Amino acid sequence: MSPVFGEFLGAAGEHIAAAASFRGDLPYAAQCQAVRQLDRLVATLACYMGDLPLPDPFDPSGGPQAGARTRAAPARLALDRAARSLRPGAGGADTDDGHPVVGHLAAAANYLAAGRDLLHTHFTDSSTGLQTPTSWWAPVIISGPVTAALLSELASHTHGLASWIVQLTAKRRTSPGAPTAALMALRDAEPWLRQAAAAMQTAQRQRYPSADRKLLAAIPASIPPPWPALGADEPAAVLCERIPVTAERLRHAALAFAAGARWSPAATSLSWRRDALASAITSHASELVLRTLAERADQLGMQPLFGARLRTAACHMVRVWQSWRAVADQWDIVTTGAVRGAGLTPVAAEIGDLALRAGRLAYRNPHWTPACSHASLSRDPADLAYAPGDIITVLATVHHAADAIGRIAASDRDSVTAAAAENRLYVPVRLLSDKYDIPRPYTPAPRPHTEALLAAYHTAAKAASRVTAFLDDLAVAADAPSSVLAAARQASTATRPSPGRQDNQQAPAQPPIVTPVPGWTEHTLHNLQIRDPALLLRAAVIDEAAHELVTEAVAKIQSRDVVANQTSRSAQVAAAQQDVRCIPRAAQPMKSQVSPAIPGFGSATVVKRTGKRTDHSYSSTRR
Amino acid sequence: MVSDVPVINDIEFRLHQAASLPQLLSASFDAFEAIRMTARDCEDRAPELFAAFMTAADAAVDGREALTIAPSLPLAGDAGPVDAAVTGADPGQAADLLAALAAALRDRLTGAANLAVLPGDRAACQDAAAAAGRVCQLMARGEP
Repeated sequence: MSPVFGEFLGAAGEHIAAAASFRGDLPYAAQCQAVRQLDRLVATLACYMGDLPLPDPFDPSGGPQAGARTRAAPARLALDRAARSLRPGAGGADTDDGHPVVGHLAAAANYLAAGRDLLHTHFTDSSTGLQTPTSWWAPVIISGPVTAALLSELASHTHGLASWIVQLTAKRRTSPGAPTAALMALRDAEPWLRQAAAAMQTAQRQRYPSADRKLLAAIPASIPPPWPALGADEPAAVLCERIPVTAERLRHAALAFAAGARWSPAATSLSWRRDALASAITSHASELVLRTLAERADQLGMQPLFGARLRTAACHMVRVWQSWRAVADQWDIVTTGAVRGAGLTPVAAEIGDLALRAGRLAYRNPHWTPACSHASLSRDPADLAYAPGDIITVLATVHHAADAIGRIAASDRDSVTAAAAENRLYVPVRLLSDKYDIPRPYTPAPRPHTEALLAAYHTAAKAASRVTAFLDDLAVAADAPSSVLAAARQASTATRPSPGRQDNQQAPAQPPIVTPVPGWTEHTLHNLQIRDPALLLRAAVIDEAAHELVTEAVAKIQSRDVVANQTSRSAQVAAAQQDVRCIPRAAQPMKSQVSPAIPGFGSATVVKRTGKRTDHSYSSTRR
Repeated sequence: MVSDVPVINDIEFRLHQAASLPQLLSASFDAFEAIRMTARDCEDRAPELFAAFMTAADAAVDGREALTIAPSLPLAGDAGPVDAAVTGADPGQAADLLAALAAALRDRLTGAANLAVLPGDRAACQDAAAAAGRVCQLMARGEP
């Protein structure tokens, strides 16, 4: 299977813990290197925070918002200040003495950055610069429970780093000699890291009370797993490993193809027929498997309710294969026309593997194929699942197959609906009664045929959705490995798009470094010799919000100017901008550039500073 | 019990009697339709043969689709739309009948592909013969 986010997050946590547990002395060169790696870590954490749909403390609606308003998120500002504190100490000797603490911090930064890259494989930028989900997992990633879990994990890591600094600098205080620049930088950064951790925890508790760490850890890279070649003899255990892989590949293929389905020559009745055929066979075999599992559950003396629920799932599965058979019946007549060499869609090309493996799981013949010569009795219950744990594994396998078929049903329904709307459905003239005297092999499908086909798809999609929901509950109740499918579905269903934004679009993530220099409020607190990070952070949040407000107001007025072509407004704009410039500010924000590899989600390790301080304007253009 | 064997026999007879490519294509088209309808009719009869009959029906549609675009296929059917092939049949016997009909189809279409002048006819016969071969393989009850 594909790598999952938990592998990276867990490894990062282990390395941070290993660094924090180091009790020896840290030589000067290692101190500088440690500060550098910590700087990388903090930058990566800031990037994560930039990605998250964090709430804006000044947003009256109080809902989780993505986009410009997230700039005011206190955690990001605190991380920004921590990074600013670290930077002076990150210079010095550029030697790598291979100190274990440095190695652990570097590894933690790498794992966190790689984990973030994994999350970004689920999104891409559209031509308008907005991020578009490209996987079934994308809505899960931006869902409340996963955001909560990520906030909680990042807070834990940030807190761990702060604790490490305390331990390191406290030890140094008892040692002779003046603290080094690196240690001073660490001391300056520590309170900001604590503030960042606290802000993350507060955001999580206030906005996303229920965290789903298991779901967060289970997020896979949006890369289809390698094709599992069909083996001549695959025992039940191997089938239970490979069916979920095939299902995952089909889920990927369905979504990847959907985007360009209208223009693909492979979007034909041939492909949709293959999907319907394989879905019917897979569901038919799944019904058999569920009945055999129920029998085995009875034999093993498992809870009667569990066996009853397996039988109910089998009944739901009957409706699925019957509805797919109805779809296949409709395709007997309706067609998009025979086109040689059009090929098959990726789903149609591979869904036969799922049907074959499902059949081999259901029937006794290990070489089962749909051919009459391979017809076989269903598996012996003890052969299918010897122990109670095997029942759960097989149930998870059926769950994966049903989930994939459900997604294919929805995808094909949409594609066929589009084909019908574009008048791409026909019937062979020879199959019509003699009253049709049409001198062509095909004629546009009469309306009743089209309507019957679409109705069959709706029924199939509905039946698939029902059985998937039932299996979701069953998998959760049994704590099956496939319960992650249920959690993902629940989380993505709960995901609500922000107002004014399309369902499939998210505002671009903000640059990780927000305000490298204090604004007016923060500057004032500095002048008052205020050193309390909590107060300074509140000031930074206020400055950021003020900047947002002024920028938005100026943009609105400029927009009105364009529409109304009122030259008098320009003077007002200029005056407004002049007023903004009058607010003292220490420096112009630096422009930040993010790696274009994943636009809007740039890698934390390649943040480059390209701007420099030029004036004291709040209204300067930032990405 | 097989109640509509004469229908199958009629179609097989037409296949064997076809003296021209248009006649053969027309008879083959109807033969595929007969296979499809019979297979659909048998899908529910034996759970262990559900996949076999469903796949055979799909292959029959493949064969019929291939023939539909053959340039030499007459636009109007010789014998009108096929109503039924085998209804209420024992699935095993139905499979045997369909295997025999598909084998005859495969052989006749393979021969026609070799003799066809128009590339469109040749390709249609080749594709349809392949589809008939799949039906034959699916329905044969001995070792394939």
